Amino acid sequence: MRWPLPLSRSVAAVLVTLVSLHSHADGLVVDKVYHPYVDALETEIEWRSVFQDEQRNFVNPAQVHKFSVGHSVGERNFVELYLTGEKNRASGFRTQAWEIEIKHQLTEQGEYAADWGLLVEYENALHSDMREFKLGLLTEREFGAWSGAANLFLINEWGEDIDAEIETALSLQARYRYRREFEPALEFYAGQETLALGPVLQGDLSLGPRKTLHWESGVVFGLDNDSAGTTWRLLFEYEF
Amino acid sequence: MRKFYLLPCWLLSAPLWAATPEFELVIRDHLFFPSTLEVPAGVKVRLMVDNQDETPEEFESYELNREKVIPGNSRTAIFIGPLKPGEYPFFGEFYPKTAQGRVIAK
Repeated sequence: MRWPLPLSRSVAAVLVTLVSLHSHADGLVVDKVYHPYVDALETEIEWRSVFQDEQRNFVNPAQVHKFSVGHSVGERNFVELYLTGEKNRASGFRTQAWEIEIKHQLTEQGEYAADWGLLVEYENALHSDMREFKLGLLTEREFGAWSGAANLFLINEWGEDIDAEIETALSLQARYRYRREFEPALEFYAGQETLALGPVLQGDLSLGPRKTLHWESGVVFGLDNDSAGTTWRLLFEYEF
Repeated sequence: MRKFYLLPCWLLSAPLWAATPEFELVIRDHLFFPSTLEVPAGVKVRLMVDNQDETPEEFESYELNREKVIPGNSRTAIFIGPLKPGEYPFFGEFYPKTAQGRVIAK
């Protein structure tokens, strides 16, 4: 392999990766796309939700809501605690799990051809014996006014109430930095029984010095018969 | 075996170690010095930001796509570009009324 790869061959490599990615993952595939950056001295309060159609071969929740509080630790780490709730089609809303997530910024933004980060996550179900450990590689690169981000996850699930397995998931985002308050994006998700693509809008509203409301809203569409036909996602994050 | 290892290839399809011109930016009394910084267009540059205040400041610029906290009495590198010719404003998020500046790419 010659190094560096020409761009056309690199894009082809990504496409090959996507095609081979219809893997066997449980849980929420359409979630959000992470960026490999940490803002020091920042606290975040976040609420994000996903509303999805029924899937043909997989019992998926109708709604998933995540509430979290996070804070940066040093200049390169961000720790976030989550409480997750779900609404199933046959029952009402109930809390489902707690989760701790650590994001580590590996490289300085713009220093190399791409920026890199790591995500480590541990999730513990509240009403059953199900646990999950997730390791994610986060990357992002600028293309002029465009930013391309990719998240690749390796997930291990275990417990009395779940089949132990190792899963994979991929999410991609192409975002156009039109203006701070309003950025259109296209997102792609691949995981168990899910291959989905759709538009997302996002932005930052300044509420004063070091106070920002970040929002994301989008709809992704299943690309095959196994995926949920339509999945809506919504995110609000207060950063201070 | 799934071809996951191919994923990072596209992101590494540019030279990693090119000579990066360096420019100095000082924060003092919640002001940027110089407040106007000329840099070459079309190349990546390194801004060495020296915060001489006791308090932290955040270099922020949507136009440059950068957001970086510089603790008090410390130096930090911020990489920007390659930029098209033009003017790119930046400000200090902790003291936005006074800490303002612009990068001019020529």
